[in-house]
Order: sequence, then C-alpha cells, then structure tokens
Amino acid sequence: MRLVEAIRRSEATGPTAMFLVLLAVVIALKGGRYSLFDAQNLAANVLPLALVGLGQYFVILVRGIDLSLGPVMSVSSCLAAVLFPYGAVPAIAAAIAGGVAAGIGNGLLVAWLDLSPVIVTLATMSVWQGVSLVVLATPGGTIPAGLQMALTAATVVVPVPILLLIATALFGAWVMSTRLGLHLRAIGGDAGAAEASGVRVRRQRFAAYALAGTLAALGGLYSAIATSAGSPIIGDSYILPSIAAVVLGGVPLIGGRGSPVGVVMGALTLNIIGSLLYFANLSDFYQSLINGVILIAVVAAAALRSWVWRAVPA
Amino acid sequence: MSDVPAETRPGRSGVLGLGAGLVAPATSLVVIALMFLGCDLLIPGFVSLGNVMRIAELAGFLGVVAIGETLVILTGGIDLSIAWVVTGAGCVFTAVSGGATSMLVPALAAALAVGFVAGLANGLGIARLGISPIVMTLGMNNIMQGLTLLYTNGTPTGGTPPVIKTLATGYAGPVPVLVLAWAALAAVVIVALRLGRGGRKLLGVGENPLVSRLSGIRNERVITAAYLCSGLAAALTGVLYAGFSGASFLGMGDQFVLPAIAAVVLGGTSIFGGSGGYGGTIIGAFFLTVLTTILAVVNLSAGVRDIVYGLVIVAALLLNRLSMRAAQ
Repeated sequence: MRLVEAIRRSEATGPTAMFLVLLAVVIALKGGRYSLFDAQNLAANVLPLALVGLGQYFVILVRGIDLSLGPVMSVSSCLAAVLFPYGAVPAIAAAIAGGVAAGIGNGLLVAWLDLSPVIVTLATMSVWQGVSLVVLATPGGTIPAGLQMALTAATVVVPVPILLLIATALFGAWVMSTRLGLHLRAIGGDAGAAEASGVRVRRQRFAAYALAGTLAALGGLYSAIATSAGSPIIGDSYILPSIAAVVLGGVPLIGGRGSPVGVVMGALTLNIIGSLLYFANLSDFYQSLINGVILIAVVAAAALRSWVWRAVPA
Repeated sequence: MSDVPAETRPGRSGVLGLGAGLVAPATSLVVIALMFLGCDLLIPGFVSLGNVMRIAELAGFLGVVAIGETLVILTGGIDLSIAWVVTGAGCVFTAVSGGATSMLVPALAAALAVGFVAGLANGLGIARLGISPIVMTLGMNNIMQGLTLLYTNGTPTGGTPPVIKTLATGYAGPVPVLVLAWAALAAVVIVALRLGRGGRKLLGVGENPLVSRLSGIRNERVITAAYLCSGLAAALTGVLYAGFSGASFLGMGDQFVLPAIAAVVLGGTSIFGGSGGYGGTIIGAFFLTVLTTILAVVNLSAGVRDIVYGLVIVAALLLNRLSMRAAQ
C-alpha cells in the first residue's frame, strides 16, 4: 500500500505512464516484437536529450531558461572529436571543461549580474556556436571505435546505454535529494521567501546554470561518441527539445516543482514520438513541426487544466 | 508578466519614465560614433556618405523586424518565432509572385497572412491561455520551420517583382529607398507609442498588468495585438529581404533573432516591459549593424565573428545595466 501511495504521489508518475503508453503503441506497431536491442537503441538515441534536458530542468526549476545549452553540446562534441587523437583523457576533460565554462559564464551573468536569462543565453548561444565552428568547421573528427562500441554496446545483462540513462535519472534524483536540490526548489517556489529563510539564492542559481552547462557537455560528448563524429551544429536541434523534455516531464515553467525522473521520461516520450513519425511514413520535415506542436500543446493543456480547477470550487 | 516577482521589476526611472529610455541610447550613440571613427582609422575613408547609407540600409531590415520585437518586449513578452516567420513569409512571397509584377498584390497578401496567422496564434496562446512567451514563440518557430519545409519541399522557388527589388535595393538620390520607407514606418511607430491610445495601453500592460486591467484595459487584446504586429513586421522583413537577396532561402530569418532582441534591449527598453520605445531600438539596430559591418570588413572567420558578436552584446548588456542603475 505504501508503494501505491508513493507512486500516486510521485511527480514522475504521469510522464512515466505517458512514456509507457507510447512505448506500448510502438511495440504494437512492430507486431509485438521488441527486443533488448531495440531498447538499447532507444536509450542510446535519447541519452543526449536526457542529459541536456536534465540540465535545462535545473535551470527551469529556478525560473530561468538556458537557450545556449544546445550550442554548448556542439562545443563539447567538437572538442572531443578534435582531441581524441591526442588521447581519451584530454578529449573528455576538454569536452566537459567547455560545458563547465559555459555554465559558469551564464551563471555569472544571470545570477550575479542580474541580466535576463533569455537575452544572456541568446547572446552566449552565438558565442558557443562560434566556438564550435572555430574548433571544428565541418562535421567530422575522430572518435575511437573501441569507445563507441563500449558506450553503445550490449553487456551480459543490461546494455550500457540503458545503464547510462538510468544513471542520468538517478543522478538527477540524487541532486534533488541534497540540500542544493531543496534550495533550487525553494528558489523556484518563491525566491524572496527562500532568501529570507537563509538560502543563498544567487549562489544556488549560479550552481543551477553551471550544472546545466556540465550536463549539456556530457550530452554533446555522448552524441559525438555514439555517432563517432563531432558536429558544430548538432546542438542546434536540441534547443527546443531540451525545453520540451522538461515540459513533457511535468515541470511547470514557473519552476519550483517537477522531478528529474519525469524529465528523463519526457525525453523518452519525445524520442518515441519521433519513431512514431517513422511508422506513419512521414518525412523528417514533420519532426520540427511536431516538436513545436507538442511543446505548445502540453503547456496549453496545463494552463487549461488550471483554468478548469479554478472554475470548479474545490 | 505576472510570473515576474514584484521585487525584480525595475521601477520607472526619471521624469515621465524617460530616464531609462534615454540614458542607454545616449551611451550607444557615443559608442556608435567611436566605432565609426575607429573604423575610419583602420580603413581610411570608411566614414563616407555612401558607406553610412549602406549601413543605414542594412539596419533597415533589422529595424523593421525589431518594430514587432519592441512592441512585444514592451508588454513584458518576447518573440523568438521571428526567424522562421521571416523565412516562411519570404518563401511564400517568392513562390506566389514568381517574380511577376501582376502577382505582387496576392503574393504580398499571402506573405503578410503568414505573419498574421503566426502572430495571432502567438498572441492568443500567450494572452488567452497564459502560455509563457518563450515557450509559445519557440514552439511557433519550430512549427513555422516545419510548415516552411513542407511548403517549399526543401527548396524555395520563385522570385521577387521589380517593385520589391526597388524598395529593398533602390536609391532615391543618395538615400536608399528602404531607409525612407523605414523612416516613415518608424515615425508612425514612435508617434503611436508616445501619443496614441494604443501605445499608452501597451506601456500600461507592460508596466503593471493588474493596474492596467483595473483601469479598464483589456490586457489580452493589447498583448495579442502586439504579437500580431510582430508577426506582420517579421513577414514584411521576409518580403523585403527576399527583394534584397533576389530570392528567398531557408534560414534567411535566422540572422535576425538575436539582433532584433538585442537592438530593443540595448535601446533601453526594459526586458520586463513597461518602459522604453522604438527610438532606442533604432539606435540599437544601428549599433549592431555597424558591428556586423566591422566584423565583415576585418575579415574574420564565421566562427570568430559569432563569438565576437555574442561577447559584444553581453558587454553592451552589462554597460546598459550599469548606466540604467546609475540613472535610477
């Protein structure tokens, strides 16, 4: 009974149910055949979005937004692809360091210098797009085949991408269980009240942006490894989906609520809608159209629901 | 909007709320003058009538799309959908007209209809359903991208009638026709914002939606109208830019998003709405166009240009912030 209660109260239940229903549809469309290999592919495809979505989640939690996370992914993907010939350690370190630096920059400008997150991250978006072009002008570079195999392959029991996806969700859940997580929620709920009760609002808001940059870098790094190439434009296609994953994960854009597991489910949902397009035999041109419609529809549905609730006296 | 906690809203500064709107443009004017002089040292003869007019012409495209962005930001919102509204309208315009003067009116109507529908949808979503402006317009940008790709099947076709080419690239004596048209539009916008009833309502909604509602203004209508204007301004820019380039192309609107928003904010309009105006945006558009021209002249790679452009905007935002603080 306790478990039932926990599921009923969890903020991740809705997004998880939505993902499972869509997964069931895909399995039905595949004639009931869904192997571990399919699941492994799904996880490998969704992992970059799950990582950058989790980063966007921390920022949205404190009522911010980060439009530069996509280009940050491009930077780390390019750095990795260019530096792997010099060894895995410098490549991975540089890719992550790029994301940390980007996050710190955004955090400084938004949290400490009080600039609006939309316009700051639009401007830094241009900066990071430029950096990735300087690092790697056209998609390419070198990724060791061994690493690609290792991080996208099956193991004896559970395939690596699935483990990494679970690790991403667990990492998010862990952050939210720490004092930082509590403070981020408090700031999103009411920054003034949080400040009054001793939360260092600026420092924690800064931390949210820094964390977001780091997670975006990991997403870019994984996408470079999984596709065995770096790309200076790979991140552009993640700008809207990173926000859509958060919204589909049941997180309101006014911050303060929502769960990281829900965000990972939101990323999975978005990805599986993409594969439904494939079954419907629709051209790729529909992908961006449908992403836009989903984003607006989910937010509009939430708005309508709160309207109805207000209209009906509790 | 109502999401913004009261304590983070900057108050109106200066007499008649003009303070914040004037200090920043004054700074930018000085900066623009310095930029021109610096360029003249680097490249002797940079400051010539022809060059200044050329920059004014380029600033005109940005200036037109920034009309909509100014109105939207004055309500406390933002429009991120202009990239693909510009492109979509441009592609529809060239495809419908096919370069024939006889098709000018239907093509113009079709292109403006694209902007009208996108802007109206943005406005209704934001004002009636309470969807966050960032999400609504970002989603609309993707929708317009998808629709444009489907409409053009990946390759825009057609051409621009001579009238639009003249409007976008012609000269009346030493002055580009586009600059004259822009000046006329700008005069209308500035007068409407300062003296018109609509302008007062717009500023009122942006400054304090509650007070505005209590004083009998229908906020939803004002906000919807602002996004509608933004859609139309973006569509008009698409038409003009197609005329300038001689054709429409995918991604032709991408270059306007950051500059349009930056021009408004650097021009002294508060990103929280309620204070500012189009005069500052014009100066912001000039500042950014001079910057683009300099970056093109000094022959940097595309990547380095993006980096410098972004960093200069961040620096300008910080300067702007400091000068506004000093004014308060």
